Amino acid sequence: MGRVAGKKLFSVMALCAMIGLLLLPIAVSLPSLAIGADAPDAVKKDGEAKVEKGRDVYYKTEGIVVGAPAPKTTDGPKDYPRYNFESRVLLWFANQQHLYYGSFVLAVPIFCMVIEFMGVVSKDKAMAKRYDQLAHDFIKISLTAYSLTAILGGVLIFTFLTLYPAFFGYLSSIFRPVMHIYALMFIAESGTLYIYYYGWDKMTTGFLKWIHLSMSVILNVIGTLLMFLANSWIGFMMSPAGVDEQGRFLGNIWHVIHTALWNPLNVHRILGNMAFGGGVVAAYAAYKFLASKTDEDRAHYDWMGYIAMALGVAFLIPLPFAGYWLMREVYAYRQQMGITLMGGLLAWLFIIQATMIGILFLSTNYYLWQALGRMRGAEKYQRYIKYLVFVLCCGYLVFITPHTIVMTPAELKAMGGQQHPVLGNYGVMSAKNGGINVIITTTILSFVWYMRGNKVSTVSWSKFGNIFMGVFFACAYVNIIWLAIYGYYIPANVRVGLSVPQVATTLSCLFFMFPLNSAMMKGAKQMGAIEWGKISVRSQYALIMLATAFTWMMGLMGYIRSSVRLFWHVNEIMRDNSPWAYTHTVGFAANMISFNVLFFWVSILFVFWLGSIGMKRAPAPVEAKAGVPGGAPQPAGGH
Amino acid sequence: MGSAILYGLISLAICIAYFTAVDHFLMDSQGLDFWYLFRK
Repeated sequence: MGRVAGKKLFSVMALCAMIGLLLLPIAVSLPSLAIGADAPDAVKKDGEAKVEKGRDVYYKTEGIVVGAPAPKTTDGPKDYPRYNFESRVLLWFANQQHLYYGSFVLAVPIFCMVIEFMGVVSKDKAMAKRYDQLAHDFIKISLTAYSLTAILGGVLIFTFLTLYPAFFGYLSSIFRPVMHIYALMFIAESGTLYIYYYGWDKMTTGFLKWIHLSMSVILNVIGTLLMFLANSWIGFMMSPAGVDEQGRFLGNIWHVIHTALWNPLNVHRILGNMAFGGGVVAAYAAYKFLASKTDEDRAHYDWMGYIAMALGVAFLIPLPFAGYWLMREVYAYRQQMGITLMGGLLAWLFIIQATMIGILFLSTNYYLWQALGRMRGAEKYQRYIKYLVFVLCCGYLVFITPHTIVMTPAELKAMGGQQHPVLGNYGVMSAKNGGINVIITTTILSFVWYMRGNKVSTVSWSKFGNIFMGVFFACAYVNIIWLAIYGYYIPANVRVGLSVPQVATTLSCLFFMFPLNSAMMKGAKQMGAIEWGKISVRSQYALIMLATAFTWMMGLMGYIRSSVRLFWHVNEIMRDNSPWAYTHTVGFAANMISFNVLFFWVSILFVFWLGSIGMKRAPAPVEAKAGVPGGAPQPAGGH
Repeated sequence: MGSAILYGLISLAICIAYFTAVDHFLMDSQGLDFWYLFRK
C-alpha cells in the first residue's frame, strides 16, 4: 500500500516537474522579454541625445532602436563562405530533413496521446490493452526519430553558421531571447519525453495511468510551443515586424514573433504535421502488412494502418482551408507576394501542388473503397463507387487546370490566345475552389459510407435520417457548384468572398453528417465483422502513395514558401547578395524535392528498423481475429 | 413511398434554407452582398 502511495506521489511530482519545466523558460526569459523597457533606460543614462527612434515596418508604432541594422552583405567569403557547391542547396537539404523529422516527432506524440486516451476510456479491456500497446509502439519509433531530429537540428545550425554567418548573426541578434527559450524548451521536451516513455510500464492503471496521460498532454504542449517559436523565425523572414526599415530591432520581442503570417503558419503547419505523421505511420503499417507472414500480423498492421490513416486524414481535410487562410494573409500582407505565388513566377508549382493534393484525396478515397471489401454488408455501397470516381475526377481535373500554359507561337496562334476557349475557364480560383470542395465533400461521403459499411441503423427515425443525409450531401454539392458558377458573373471583390460559404458548406458535411451518422449507428445491427487483414494489397500501396505524396508535397510547399522571398533573406529588410539569389527552375526544384523525399524515406526506414527491434505486440483482440481463417467471426467493435 | 417523398421534401426545405442562410450570412459577415447579381 505504501509502495503504491509512493508511486503516486512520485508520479505527481514528475508531472509537476514537467509543468515546471514548461514554465521555466518563460520565467527565465522574463528579463529578456522586458528588453524593450530596460534598453531605453540604459540608453537614457548616456544622455537623451543618443536616443534614436524608429518606426515599425509592420505595426507602424514608434520604438527606441536597440539593435543594429541588417547587414548589407556582399558576395565573398566574409558573408557567404562556401565550398565548391551551391550553399543554398546544402542548406535546403539540411533544413528539409530537419523539418521532416521535426514534423514527425511533433505529430507522433499527439497520436500517442489520442490513442492512449482511447485505450484509457475503452470499456473493452482487450481493446484498451491493444490501443495502449499501439501508442507505446508509436512513441518508441518517435524516440529514435527524436534523436535524429536533434542531430539534424545541429547540422542545420552548423550549416547556417558556416555558410550564411552574416544572415544567421542578424537573425539570432533579433531572436536572442526566443532562441534561448527554444533551447530550454527543447530540454524540457527531451526530459518529458524520456519520463513519458520510460514511465510507461510503471504507470499502467488507475490514477497513475491518468498521470501518465497528463504527461503526454504536457509533452505535446511543449512540442507545439517549440514549433510555434520556430515558425516565428520563418514568419519574420517572410513578413518582418518589430524592426524599422533598416532592420533595427525596436525592443518589442512580441512584435517580432507575432508577424502578419505567424498565426496562419502555425495553424497550417500543425495540421500539415499531423497529416504527415499519420501518413508516415500508415506507410509503416502498410510495409509491415505487406511483409507479414501470419494472418494475425496482417490483421494487426491492417488495423494500425487504418487508425493512422484516419487520424492523418482527419487533419488533411481542414488543411486546404488553413492553406487558403495563409494565402489570404499573404495577399493581405503584400499583394505582389501573393501574385508571385499564385499568378506569377511560382504559379506552376501551385499547379503541381494541386495535382499532389488531388492525389492525396484520391488515394484516401481509394483506400476507403478497398477497405469496404473487408466488411460483410458493405457490398451495397460498392456499386455506387463509380459515381464517386466520376465526381472526384471532375473535381480533380478542374482543380489542376492551369490558367495559362507554356506554348510555342504556333500553338498560341492555333488556340487563339493564351487561354483555351473552353478549358481556360477552369483555370480561375472560382472553379478551383469548387473543384477542391467537391473532392473534400466526396472524401467525407466515402468516410460516412465506410463508417456504416457493415451496419444497418435500427433507430426509429432511420428512414428520415438516411433521406436527410442523402439530401444534405446533394444540396451541399449543388451549393458548392452553384457558388463556383456564380463567381463568374460577379466582380472580383465580391467573388473572393464566395470561398467562405463554399468552405462552410464542406465543413457542414463534416461536422453535421459525422455526428448524425454516429447517432444513427448507435446500437445498429451488425451485418458482419470487420475482417482485419482481409484487405487488398492494393490498398496498402495506396497508403504508401498517400505518405509519399504528402512528403513530396511538404517539400514542394516549403520550397514555394521560401522562394517567395525571391532575393531577400528577410523580406524588404535584408537582401540576399549571394550568387544563388535567384529562383530555381521548376525541374531543378522538383529533382531536389525528390532527392529530399528519397533521403527521408531511406533514413526513416532505418528508424523503423531500429524501432522494431524488441517491439512486442499485445495479443490481437477478437475483432482482429475475426478475419483469421478458422477464427470464429465476431461482431466488429468499431472502426 | 409516400413517407419517403414527404421526408425528402422536408429534408429539401431544411437544406435549402440552411445553405441559403450559410451563403447569405457568411458573405454578409465579410461586408459583401451575396445577392449582388440579382439586385443589379
